[in-house]
Amino acid sequence: MHLTDQEKRILDGGQGEIAQKCMQFLVAYGEAAGAERLVDLDGTVDLHPGQFWVADYVITPEEIDELANKGEKFKVPTFANKATAPGFIYDGWERCGTLPNSDPEYHKKCTEPFKPWIKMGMVPTFSCDNYLVASYLPAVGQHCAWVESSAIPWVNAVLGARSNFDGCFQTAYLGKVPAYDMQLDENRMATVLVECASELKADMDYDLFGWAVGEACGLEVPALVGIGKPTTSQLVKMNSSLNTGGQVRMYHIPGVTPEAPTLEAAFKGNRYKKRITITREDLKRVYEVMNYASNDHVDFVYLGCPHYNIEELRKVAEYLEGKRCKTPVWVMTNPLTFKAAEMMSLKDTIEKAGAVLLSGTCCGLLMGEMPPSGVMATDAAKQDYYITGIVYPKRLEVWYGTTEDCIEAAITGKWRGEWR
Amino acid sequence: MADEVRKIILKGRKVIGGVAEGEALVSKMPLMGWGNVNVKGGFTVERNHPLFEVPFKGKVLVFSEPRGSGGFVGYGRTRQFGTNPAAFIYRKGNNLTVFAAMNMKVPTVTDFDQDPTEVIETGDYVRVDGDKGMVEVFKRR
Repeated sequence: MHLTDQEKRILDGGQGEIAQKCMQFLVAYGEAAGAERLVDLDGTVDLHPGQFWVADYVITPEEIDELANKGEKFKVPTFANKATAPGFIYDGWERCGTLPNSDPEYHKKCTEPFKPWIKMGMVPTFSCDNYLVASYLPAVGQHCAWVESSAIPWVNAVLGARSNFDGCFQTAYLGKVPAYDMQLDENRMATVLVECASELKADMDYDLFGWAVGEACGLEVPALVGIGKPTTSQLVKMNSSLNTGGQVRMYHIPGVTPEAPTLEAAFKGNRYKKRITITREDLKRVYEVMNYASNDHVDFVYLGCPHYNIEELRKVAEYLEGKRCKTPVWVMTNPLTFKAAEMMSLKDTIEKAGAVLLSGTCCGLLMGEMPPSGVMATDAAKQDYYITGIVYPKRLEVWYGTTEDCIEAAITGKWRGEWR
Repeated sequence: MADEVRKIILKGRKVIGGVAEGEALVSKMPLMGWGNVNVKGGFTVERNHPLFEVPFKGKVLVFSEPRGSGGFVGYGRTRQFGTNPAAFIYRKGNNLTVFAAMNMKVPTVTDFDQDPTEVIETGDYVRVDGDKGMVEVFKRR
């Protein structure tokens, strides 16, 4: 890999031992990835605080403390995704009812290690969809280093900025990433034409559609036509499924996303490699994969994957107004939206119905720490499909449907959702 | 009658160097990480996956593509439990496969001249030269 003189100086230790270790990681990573050079970040970083990608290249808490105390900063605006090692509940833990998260000492122990990261400039957003509340987003064409499968299509497709899946301490501290894959023009154009033959209406339809497209496209870049005008909630769901059912990091919606004013522009004048039609039958097939249950008795309802936005919380509060839940219900959001929900009394409404509003994590990242359940219900394909692996070898049944289906199950204790 | 062995050579790109050999375990279906890889056990626990609970320890793990979460690196973290494959071979990857390989530290090759999941079948004997980006497949017929 070609390095500039400045980069060579860092690699030789000219900027200190910690910068050298960060550069050693970037060089080893770039070479394994087949990158020819590094590129300077001019956008943003999204990282899992405390997590390092490769065991041989860990920067220790003591080293990070040292940098923070010297007044060193991250090179570009840097946002906290969810903590992963371990995951913990940021807000609402007092009422979660599960251990270790309901223990105040545990909460303190989990938040303490991030102080030096925050001192270096990390914004404490602690969310998989921190892009919805970040208050600062990368502009079209800017180079970024993000994480989170559901967020990667947001930075690439929705914002038109450029990112692989490599946000971390090293990329934020040096402000550099290997220049390959999604960082380069030639890998961002559409290769597969996807036509949607079924009208997508409910938010759930976008979740199912994303999964079906992901399975069909893998790592390709699809151009999506016939999908209407998705709302923010729908795009978040679709992105989450595109990069779970498959590995779609980038897509175009001609006339909607910034790099595709037209269908021709999405393909840069090239012919598609493959043309796919997604039908109502395809959506139903995914719906059936997600419904992994036979017992209509529901023990636990989980909502908020990706973290619910304020509009989704408003909807949930409206459904729950004056009702009483029979099953435990966790409604997960990001810390900043949690505050807004408190100010708008949505939290009160949700709690009066017996549900709990939480922020900053999910059942998956809590390694299955949730109210005891043999049968859960959720409205997110991503959470649904991972949670059964996470609780392995314990068996967990999962019902999947619309948010309304899930809330009805919470109120009645029975699953009544069906394909309509 | 002696078994005849047919040899096929695939040329690809080095991700991690070194030489290893073993029996192939092939997945045409993409592999998914995070909660759907059981790191201690060394197998996938993705429901609906043909390799559900099939150990990959010591095998040459051949697959089409990764899908899903950054927790795909869990395949690499099997190294800490000694449940890792002997070599890592995939048709197409991204930085999730690279990070997994960097943790696994076994010979890893991708971007082949042929689709490895079409050429290699489970049970074939495979020799992987990571430095040369070469994979030799020995088939009995």
